[in-house]
Amino acid sequence: MADPMTAEPATETPVPVDFETHPSRYRHWRLSFAGRVATLTMDIDEAAGIRPGYRLKLNSYDLGVDIELHDALQRIRFEHPEVATVVLTSGKDRIFCSGANIFMLGLSSHAWKVNFCKFTNETRNGIEDSSAHSGLKFLAACNGTTAGGGYELALACDEIVLIDDRSSAVSLPEVPLLGVLPGTGGLTRLTDKRRVRRDLADIFCTTVEGVRGQRARDWRLIDALAKPQAFAGYVEQRALALAAASDRPAGANGVPLPPLVRKARTDGFGYAHVDVKLDAGRRIVELTVAAPEDPGPASIDDILKAGANWWPLKMARELDDAILNLRTNHLDFGLWVLKTRGDAGHVLAAERQMLAHRGHWFVRECLGQLRRTLARLDVSSRSMFALVEPGSCFAGMLLEIALAADRIYLLNQPPGEGGPVLTLSEVNFGLLPAVHGRSRIDARFYGDEPQIAAARAAIGSPLGAESAGALGLVTAAPDVLDWPDEIRMALEERVSLSPDALTGLEANLRFGPGENLDTRIFGRLSAWQNWIFIRPNAVGESGALKVFGTGRKAKFNRDRI
Amino acid sequence: MSATLARQHVIDPEVCIRCNTCESTCPQKAVTHDERNYVVHFDLCNACGACISPCPTGAIDHWRQVPSAAPYSIAEQLSWDSLPEQAALAVHDGGGMPPEVLAATQAASAGQGGAVSAPWSAQTPQVNLYPVAAPAIARVAGNLRLTDADASCDIRHIVLDFGATAMPVLEGQSIGILPPGANADHRPHYIRLYSIASPRDGERPNYNNLSITVKRVTEDHAGKPTLGVCSNYLCDLKAGDEVRVVGPYGSTFLMPNHPGANLLMICTGTGSAPMRAMTERRRRRRALKEPGETMLFFGARAPGELPYFGPLMKLPKEFIDVNLALSRMPGESRRYVQDRIRERGPDVARLLAHAETYVYICGLKGMELGVDAAFDEVCREHGMDWRELLARLRQGGRFHVETY
Amino acid sequence: MNISTGDKIPNNVDLAGDKVLQRALEQWQPEFLNWWADMGPEGSRTNDVYLRTAVSVEPSGWAHFDYVKMPDYRWGIFLTPIDGGRKVNFGDHKGEAAWQDVPGEHRANLRRIIVTQGDTEPASVEQQRHLGLTCPSLYDLRNLFQVNVEEGRHLWAMVYLLHRYFGRDGREEAEALLQRRSGDPDNPRILGAFNERTPDWLAFFMFTYFTDRDGKFQLCALAESGFDPLARTTRFMLTEEAHHMFVGESGVGRVIQRTCEVMAQHKTDDPARVRALGVIDLPTIQRYLNFHFSVTIDLFGADVSSNAATFYSSGLKGRFEETRHGDDHLLRDATYPVLQVLDGHLQVVQAPALNALNEKLRDDYIKDSIAGVSRWNRIIQKAGIAFELTVPHKAFNRKIGPLAGVKIAPDGRLVSQEEWAARESGWLASESDREFVASLMGRIATPGAYANWIAPPAVGINKQPVNFDYVRFG
Repeated sequence: MADPMTAEPATETPVPVDFETHPSRYRHWRLSFAGRVATLTMDIDEAAGIRPGYRLKLNSYDLGVDIELHDALQRIRFEHPEVATVVLTSGKDRIFCSGANIFMLGLSSHAWKVNFCKFTNETRNGIEDSSAHSGLKFLAACNGTTAGGGYELALACDEIVLIDDRSSAVSLPEVPLLGVLPGTGGLTRLTDKRRVRRDLADIFCTTVEGVRGQRARDWRLIDALAKPQAFAGYVEQRALALAAASDRPAGANGVPLPPLVRKARTDGFGYAHVDVKLDAGRRIVELTVAAPEDPGPASIDDILKAGANWWPLKMARELDDAILNLRTNHLDFGLWVLKTRGDAGHVLAAERQMLAHRGHWFVRECLGQLRRTLARLDVSSRSMFALVEPGSCFAGMLLEIALAADRIYLLNQPPGEGGPVLTLSEVNFGLLPAVHGRSRIDARFYGDEPQIAAARAAIGSPLGAESAGALGLVTAAPDVLDWPDEIRMALEERVSLSPDALTGLEANLRFGPGENLDTRIFGRLSAWQNWIFIRPNAVGESGALKVFGTGRKAKFNRDRI
Repeated sequence: MSATLARQHVIDPEVCIRCNTCESTCPQKAVTHDERNYVVHFDLCNACGACISPCPTGAIDHWRQVPSAAPYSIAEQLSWDSLPEQAALAVHDGGGMPPEVLAATQAASAGQGGAVSAPWSAQTPQVNLYPVAAPAIARVAGNLRLTDADASCDIRHIVLDFGATAMPVLEGQSIGILPPGANADHRPHYIRLYSIASPRDGERPNYNNLSITVKRVTEDHAGKPTLGVCSNYLCDLKAGDEVRVVGPYGSTFLMPNHPGANLLMICTGTGSAPMRAMTERRRRRRALKEPGETMLFFGARAPGELPYFGPLMKLPKEFIDVNLALSRMPGESRRYVQDRIRERGPDVARLLAHAETYVYICGLKGMELGVDAAFDEVCREHGMDWRELLARLRQGGRFHVETY
Repeated sequence: MNISTGDKIPNNVDLAGDKVLQRALEQWQPEFLNWWADMGPEGSRTNDVYLRTAVSVEPSGWAHFDYVKMPDYRWGIFLTPIDGGRKVNFGDHKGEAAWQDVPGEHRANLRRIIVTQGDTEPASVEQQRHLGLTCPSLYDLRNLFQVNVEEGRHLWAMVYLLHRYFGRDGREEAEALLQRRSGDPDNPRILGAFNERTPDWLAFFMFTYFTDRDGKFQLCALAESGFDPLARTTRFMLTEEAHHMFVGESGVGRVIQRTCEVMAQHKTDDPARVRALGVIDLPTIQRYLNFHFSVTIDLFGADVSSNAATFYSSGLKGRFEETRHGDDHLLRDATYPVLQVLDGHLQVVQAPALNALNEKLRDDYIKDSIAGVSRWNRIIQKAGIAFELTVPHKAFNRKIGPLAGVKIAPDGRLVSQEEWAARESGWLASESDREFVASLMGRIATPGAYANWIAPPAVGINKQPVNFDYVRFG
């Protein structure tokens, strides 16, 4: 066993991270159910960090903890439709959560930090997504010190109740303690969501010990205070009140989520509907999503019978897992080539069932899964080119994959001759908004009504090179003769460019004008944070993040940049 | 020649709780410790007393007389489980008693009818530690007039502090004072002896000081005006002045340690000094509820001329049975100590009959005969034979006289 | 309300000339008195207690004895006199002049240190407030009250720092110190150990011996602080803390003394017989000792702590006897051994010395407390009884740090869950032990009388006799 005091830092990822888990394997959370209320209790096992070299003291978390949280949320969404409110609380005495483990951050590579933050951000956004779209409400029951990422987690909830024991405070001590930002959405939610006045936010974010009691309420940092003895009762009361307003079905049976079957190959890995091919020589990934084999179930009963095997859900879960795997375990594959294959008719048939039953909780959750998975593409720091080739099925929900890409290449061959097509459907106009909250079509045309109306008019029509080009849906449409070389050169050129510059370029272009909470988090907060993460003031030999906990004092370059 | 004995500050390891207060308080940085004990550097400690009052346990307030050349070392103190007993000291012989001390002592104790031993339970005294050739140097810590401003005599309570010099004394002992200068024959002044008025643990408990009672001599025995060299020197001293001290002297006029012993004390004027020492010793041990009784007959002209009159009268009756005899009270007949003894006949007789009663007479020679007659009378009235009793008292070291 | 602070509050901090302090104390003092009325020793308001009051910081001035009603006790504000040349003696600021004001960058940490220390003071008064009802003698009652008023003064000392140096936040924290309540689940004291009630006098003596000794070490470490007012305040507090340890050490010693007397008199070492004779058997004393020792060493915090490192490097909290250490006082590259369970064994591993400062202080503390236990053993030895009290292993019954939850016997063996469960009641004071000790507790309040289970002290307080009426009931 390695000596934890002297273990080498985990700079890269020797063992691939697996984002799949199950409540029976949780080390850090307890998930319990009582009628309409689920309680997620954070009780971190100090010794069970996902990487060696640090201990998860004081309910601090790392990627492994968040993978469990993400899994737990998924279980609640699908397996427990009766749950209307999720209470997030702590199993530790006097500490709710102290946020991301600092020693983990200090030991981690830049890439690890960025990916970790991105995933945790997505999980928290997912909490808000479920609250906004699925009637699943979240209550942070802060039964102790709520610091840094712990408070950021609370901020993602609909309500925050803080224990009033005269010592527990909420705080965002990142700036004064660590020389970095409260970067998991904390700073943004403080202003955009909770509307904390900016001067008070300034004080709050520079005060290590945070704010407690009535002042925390007065500053809008929390919603309510409760004395220790009244705490459980108050939390229950609020949880039930939130549940009362929810339309999650009290009596419904859940849909179990079996483990995904991921088959590894030497050149990649594959699932039932998703395939990942790794071209190591060119550092290019080919990500292919397959249409269902048949139109699928038509009645809600049959859909429920299919459950996790219903194609939209299964495909989305597989795609989700593939994206996470690629992002975390295959850093140097900078370009994802996005493909589809199969019968577009089946895709659209499944989609029609989705629309027909979208009021049903399960279908609504499947739509949510798709929405969140596609939104992961929007924030993945990879170049994405969609290749629309013969045999592809970029229709409706799968067209969103292409619309999420940075470029769309479509083989210019008449549809009648087996040429590929794109097919717009109703879902492309608002049901699957991108991370910025608008449909990808809307964003693509910067809200220009005539262009959008033209696209809308084309719903259901197979669009070949000519019509798709006219509607502004493709980037380029080389013909059969040009295709191989055009595509090869485009790919080779892309992978030759600076990965950092590309990440910045793509993020800027994907988000476009107009902002929401999520783009402010990913486009501003994370960008600043990632800049700070590579600055010597944070990660140099005497940077604040590096020396934290050693007793050494950070040395700063005082120049303001 | 330096002093042969020193007073060493030590800490009782059985009582000490190692709170470090003394070490942090000591301005001399004389206190140190290991994992077991807190101890005091002999060479660094100047007995300033800063550590005494902060000590929560009293462990700090302990002292040992040691040869100055061989104090307890730090290593030795660190090894202690408990404080060592006060060792019997091999004292450097000061070169024999000064002849004038011998003569004076003999003269003073003539009234007891020859040599008498010390009470059997008296502590062994240190005698003649500081000879004339190497006197101890004390500093005056206080000089207080005891008698009223309009009293016929000027009696002083003088406190001498010996600093780091050891001056172990017992109640009843005297010290000698060497007045500065020389007499008309260009020879040093004679030693003058003064009874110590404070108990063995000092004028203030555990301070290395003692007090003497000095009457300013303004006339000789014949009543001719003359200024006593030494008494005037002493009475005029200011706080901080240095005094050369020899002694201590006296190995018989001592108090019993036995807690059941009774003290019957008769004194006049400055003869009250040893009585005060003994009384104070007992007062400080009151908490121990020792059974021995204390009875005092005290003669003076008027209350304003009674040294220690105020404090004495505050002592409770059950602790000390005080009988004053005032010979110059306006409008009252003259009363002497012997009159008071007669008045208290039954109690005096009861005490005299007790096998552990010790009699001390100190003061002017003139009182001896009167007291003797009073005892004789009281005994007769109570069916005892004073002559026979006196012989027994002498033999048992129970009858002590110091008159001048 | 206009209080004449200068008269009521003996001080050497120029209270009369400091408007900021006066304003703060005008608010706080009445609240403090209310707190004392609510949470101070139960039923003691009208008692005249023979108390020691500090009236100045000179050695002669802080042990002034007289009868006082506790609400009228003159809680003073005293700092060891300023030493103009004092330097920061350790950490990154080593060699700089000691700070007379709070450096902005250390404000939060300093305040936290002071609040945490300050919170323990009223907490222990609250924990002990019922003990007066079962005092074994007036002497002990007086000692309890002395401890209580001095904890009160220590609270004042910390509040002074908060008021004087931390502005509005400091005033709020000072108020909160009066609002938290030991053992109140809604409003607990900060440190867990200070929310446990002190149930009986043996627990009280053990607490004052072991836990107040923790106070000594914490204060000693703070007395090294680069923040000079904190150093000077805590240095003066140490002189009072000494009395508390005295109460504990002599108290336990007297309990042992009495037990040994009875054992020798009846020639028995059978605990059941000893208990039947109305005194506390030595094995029970050992189990109390094990409990209080292990709970107290947890108070030093996690073995490896980043806070400890930060406090040291920032010059806020030093080591015990910092200036006596012959090293560089920076500790950047030094290591220190800490215990861990590795591969199923208790093993020593080297940790960075800066992070292991809690462990270092704990080790210093352990050495110091063992010395007193050996003195208790001498009492047993002198009585000719073959029994030896021992201090349990450092890893025994730990609840904080990496040893938390690991089952270690008092002798340091790693034991199974089953063995622990089977033997716990032989190692730690059990409910039935506490019930037995509680059954001996009864109020003795006649001068000179002492409960049967405890010997009278060798000497009284301030050289007064042991039968002195240390408390007069009004």
